[in-house]
Amino acid sequence: MPELLTPATLYFAAALILPFLPKGTLRQTLVLLVPIAGVGVFWTLPEGTFSPYNLMGLHIGLMRIDDLSRIFGLIFSIAAFLTAIYAWHVRDTIQQVAGLLYAGSAIGAVFAADLVTLFVFWEGTAIASVFLIWARRTEGAYATGMRYLIIQVGSGVILLAGIVLYYRETGTVSFTQMDLGSYATWAIFLAFGIKCAFPLLHNWLQDAYPAATVTGTVMLSAFTTKLAVYALARGFPGTEILIYIGAVMTLFPIFYAVIENDLRRVLAYSLNNQLGFMVVGVGIGTPLALNGTAAHAFCHILYKALLFMSVGAVLFRTGTAKGSELGGLYKTMPWTMVFCVIGAASISAFPLFSGFISKSLILSASANEGHFIVWLILLFASAGVFHHSGIKIPYFAFFAHDSGKRPKEAPRHMLLAMGLTAALCIGIGVYPAPLYALLPYDVVYEPYTTSHVVTQLQLLFFSALAFAVLMKTGVYPPELRSTNLDFDWSYRRVLPSVVGGVRHAVTGTWRFAARVALHRVDRMLVGIYRAHGPQGLLARTWPTGSMVLWIAVLLGMTLVLTYV
Amino acid sequence: MTGSDIPPADDPARLPWLSRQLLWVDDKRNVDRLVWALALVCGALALADFLYHKHSYFPVENIPGFYGFYGFLMCAALVIAAKGLRVFLKRGEDYYAPLTVESEEHPDADLGRESVDA
Repeated sequence: MPELLTPATLYFAAALILPFLPKGTLRQTLVLLVPIAGVGVFWTLPEGTFSPYNLMGLHIGLMRIDDLSRIFGLIFSIAAFLTAIYAWHVRDTIQQVAGLLYAGSAIGAVFAADLVTLFVFWEGTAIASVFLIWARRTEGAYATGMRYLIIQVGSGVILLAGIVLYYRETGTVSFTQMDLGSYATWAIFLAFGIKCAFPLLHNWLQDAYPAATVTGTVMLSAFTTKLAVYALARGFPGTEILIYIGAVMTLFPIFYAVIENDLRRVLAYSLNNQLGFMVVGVGIGTPLALNGTAAHAFCHILYKALLFMSVGAVLFRTGTAKGSELGGLYKTMPWTMVFCVIGAASISAFPLFSGFISKSLILSASANEGHFIVWLILLFASAGVFHHSGIKIPYFAFFAHDSGKRPKEAPRHMLLAMGLTAALCIGIGVYPAPLYALLPYDVVYEPYTTSHVVTQLQLLFFSALAFAVLMKTGVYPPELRSTNLDFDWSYRRVLPSVVGGVRHAVTGTWRFAARVALHRVDRMLVGIYRAHGPQGLLARTWPTGSMVLWIAVLLGMTLVLTYV
Repeated sequence: MTGSDIPPADDPARLPWLSRQLLWVDDKRNVDRLVWALALVCGALALADFLYHKHSYFPVENIPGFYGFYGFLMCAALVIAAKGLRVFLKRGEDYYAPLTVESEEHPDADLGRESVDA
């Protein structure tokens, strides 16, 4: 169906129709069917660029099919489908429309063959997704959404600047591999980096995701950052600096995740950490590493969505996702607990779960290339992610100290969505061959070797033992209601106080200058008044008689002078 | 917990089947047993390193039980370092208020609160 241009068209059309449908089953069915139809648009197409046309001399291609775009298009469609089930109860038109536009933009961006199309959809994801945060409809969510939007649109503007420069340099806007080295490619790289939550550019993620609605967060977790990973894999494979950026990304969020109280923010930090693995894969750039990035993005979207779904279900039933307020929920939400544990086992890369068969590709690739330090960091980050996502999330939500909360089990549609996602996580972990067949490069990789399984189990079980020992000895930091300062402190506190200080100084100077000037003007006015005022010398009124007298004097003088 | 102060919602007979299978975790002694079992599994996994030929990339991997000890030490270090960071980074929940969601309740319109026998 090439006349449809791109699967995004379907999503946009559905978003247009949706508000006119009655709220309820009909709408939900539409949202559910769109991703299936979307896959139908691209799945059967052979490799190549479709729907090309010429726009003011630019070669625009809405639909590029190759192995890389196909696997990302597929997982985005699956994510849209699963979140549609999870959000079956939502009756909010804004969220439904925003969700369709958001998923459609992300999928459209993945299939973009040129940078202009990429830019349009890139901004589309930013603008559509912010409504999933604003849909919470509180003051805090409004402010958070504004911060999110400024940063996301900022990324788009930098991307546009990069594209303009790139076009001037190369005369083309086609989206292919680029080399860092000119302002153009650096700008594009930076734009990708903002959306990919590179270190110090990352705070929008941890700020915004816990602020969205229950279902909105699940959607947010799937698309934006993985779109950036796709863009990096397409544009900058083998760029060495990405290895180190990625390694730092895997590292620092885990420290925050340990002390963070809001479990959705813990997941946002661990999302950041998982992105690091993918970025390292892009940086290494070998076929094995790029396969690892694609596979890890695929698995990550599923298990991260599953974790956000289970914590979302807890929030939905109890009204909070804070570790300090939760505990003991396994008694009444056992299935949510089971699905959460499956998500936790997948993100921790337990053998037979999806994370294992994707993360080990990246670890093997980094070891193959001899990056010892990076490899050690990734190993540490793997243990760390197990610690905070694998153990902390299920433990503090469903076990730990009994909070006394006895919420009802999650609604059936949420359980169904979590069940399907969990089944995929296990299915991919047990039988990875179909996923490996979808990967962009033909690489033979066997994840289930004795070495791999035993060493990974060692890493995980000893980490679990460390958790148990620290818990038993009381060293483990308790969950506390708190805000932890991150880099966003710089623009949420320091910058406003600097601006406030400057404003104070400017206002003070202005007031002083104004007072001095006004004083001077006053004095001048008094002087003028003295001369020209009603009592002033120059404003006196003279009687007509004296004027006539003076004129007679003047004329007399003239007469005298004439005769002299 | 004695039988008399179990609230009706916690009556084991009223809990879902799956939850009833897990009630043993409420007993401290069972948790201790679980930790010991975990330690035992760790020991077995470390010893397993002697039983097969490890396919290694770096020499450090050939130390028996390297992955286990690395994982244990780094995780302990991670937690202690993070706990230390709290001293510098921890602020009240209303630190950024009102421009943050941390200090506000999740709006009820987005929730489906329902408790069992509450």
